[in-house]
Amino acid sequence: MTTSVPGLTYVSPLRRRKRRPWLISIVAILFCIVWIFPVYWMVNTSFKPISDVLTTTPLFFPTHFTFDNYSAAVGQTDFLQNLANSVVVVVGTVLVSTLLAFFACAALTRFRFRGRRTIMVIILAVQMLPTVALLVPTFLVFGDLDLRNTLFGLVVAYVASVLPFSIWVMRGFFLGVPVEIEEAARMDGANNWRILWSVLFPLVAPGVISTSIFAFITAWNEYIVAYTFLSDQTNYTLPIWLASFSTPRTGTDFGGQMAASVLFSLPVVIFFLIIQRKLVSGIAAGAVKG
Amino acid sequence: MTTATDLALGSESAAVGKPRRPRGPRQHYAKVGLTPLWLLTPAGLVIVALVGAPIVYLIITSFTDSNAFTLNTGQFNWVGLKQYTTTFANVDFWWALVRTVLFTAAMVGGSVLIGMAVAQMLTRLGTVIRYIVTVVLILAWAMPNVASSQVWKWLFEPGFGVINWLVTQTHLFGNTLDVNWPQNSSLAFLCIWLLIVWQAVPFIALTVYAAQTQVSPDYVEAARLDGASEWRIYWSVMLPFLRPTVMLMTILSIIWDFNVFNQIWLISQGGPNDATNTLGVYTYTQAFVSNNFGGGAAISIITTILLMLFTSFYIRSLLRSGEDL
Repeated sequence: MTTSVPGLTYVSPLRRRKRRPWLISIVAILFCIVWIFPVYWMVNTSFKPISDVLTTTPLFFPTHFTFDNYSAAVGQTDFLQNLANSVVVVVGTVLVSTLLAFFACAALTRFRFRGRRTIMVIILAVQMLPTVALLVPTFLVFGDLDLRNTLFGLVVAYVASVLPFSIWVMRGFFLGVPVEIEEAARMDGANNWRILWSVLFPLVAPGVISTSIFAFITAWNEYIVAYTFLSDQTNYTLPIWLASFSTPRTGTDFGGQMAASVLFSLPVVIFFLIIQRKLVSGIAAGAVKG
Repeated sequence: MTTATDLALGSESAAVGKPRRPRGPRQHYAKVGLTPLWLLTPAGLVIVALVGAPIVYLIITSFTDSNAFTLNTGQFNWVGLKQYTTTFANVDFWWALVRTVLFTAAMVGGSVLIGMAVAQMLTRLGTVIRYIVTVVLILAWAMPNVASSQVWKWLFEPGFGVINWLVTQTHLFGNTLDVNWPQNSSLAFLCIWLLIVWQAVPFIALTVYAAQTQVSPDYVEAARLDGASEWRIYWSVMLPFLRPTVMLMTILSIIWDFNVFNQIWLISQGGPNDATNTLGVYTYTQAFVSNNFGGGAAISIITTILLMLFTSFYIRSLLRSGEDL
């Protein structure tokens, strides 16, 4: 499972052609085969009929292509109900956290005031708290407030966990907007509110989109809070559905399970392909400067 | 959040200079003065109410004997430092701590080293292959960990799992078809290690690669003209440029891997015989399986303080660097 790169060396493009480019390419192809294998195996299994899933010699290529596992995963489980719950939670988390992060970043980057630095440090430190540590008190408090077994309570918990990072990422986009633009608008008589929505918002739109996708991914994937807070099966979100996946078929239905994993992963993978470059540069720019 | 008293409109670029005392006529900032306050209030309220208050509540809980009975009746007793002394006297806690530190070291070491190697590999590839490797990395990175844990259980399934079949084909360990990875102390750890590293490498590799493309090739050329070996060039020329990025990746990995929970919980539940029972799993079982909330709270606080100690030098260097936060 390890990947070996013979000779950790940098070769300039000019020299690369003279050396052995095929060697590093072969290493890269081997690496790809090893690294993609779990994903491939998931997809491969999900399209196999039950008889082809449990074979003593694994079938590496689908021979009897079928959608049965998908129809079982969607039709014979609580998929649609749990999907609806997930959508409610995700949309709520994305809207609230992005809006709050937008306001907070406007204050933190466009104004100078005492305590601003402290706030940024707190925001950074909060991200280090273990989820399980916050789980104990929120579990107890949410129980007292009757929020524990509700989707609304889940949204509240997710907004709190997403918000610090959202502020951290969106801040970078705000810093990229020149103050002169804002001053020009002010000269033209725009008030703060107007500057915020008509000037700043369009300029940081890429940041708003990145932050929303980040919040989407976090809320969509979150397992442990939902698993601890939700006791009614009708309130379950998709991660719990997937973790406790079972169909009426006998034994563990690996075909159905892999189909369910594909269904659950697909939206995240698509969004990741969109946002990936921004996430890497956003995190790096936010923290490497130090 | 409410310390925002001395308010003034930011007239200079936010990215330059240190915070400076506001100047100008008073009525000027009286007009715009409260804007940042109400902009910050919603986010501030959420963070104070849902992060600040729970931390206080967590500390209070750690001094009580809150348990399942408290959950139903709301009654509890103050026990002072008893939860802490019990925790420190419990050999299970110390084992969980040792295990967590070792797990974290193994996972961070593995993912950072492999990530750096992959980043270096990316710099030497042609455009097409590099694009393929990038897509492969993103696919592994993007998998939600609940889904990847399910896939892992299927890959390592005793009897029909493909990994056991592949290992058997190598004839190195005899017939391993029925090996139950999650039920074997060391194999359970190896199985989880592979999963974590598989998903951690892409982010590290792509970030280090991004940093590597920022280094001017002139330095490398100069070193090569001076007759430095390729390994020496990487070590003495490339690595100093990459150090801030690698440091950041290491710190982030420590924080993330120290707190790994889902994958362990879903694959082995901390078993067999506590072999994969890390602090996160230990806390969770104390609080939510044994319903010992007081004890769980005490362990949470100890864990948080430990993590803060591990990462304090990073926070301190951030503070000292004078970056305009």
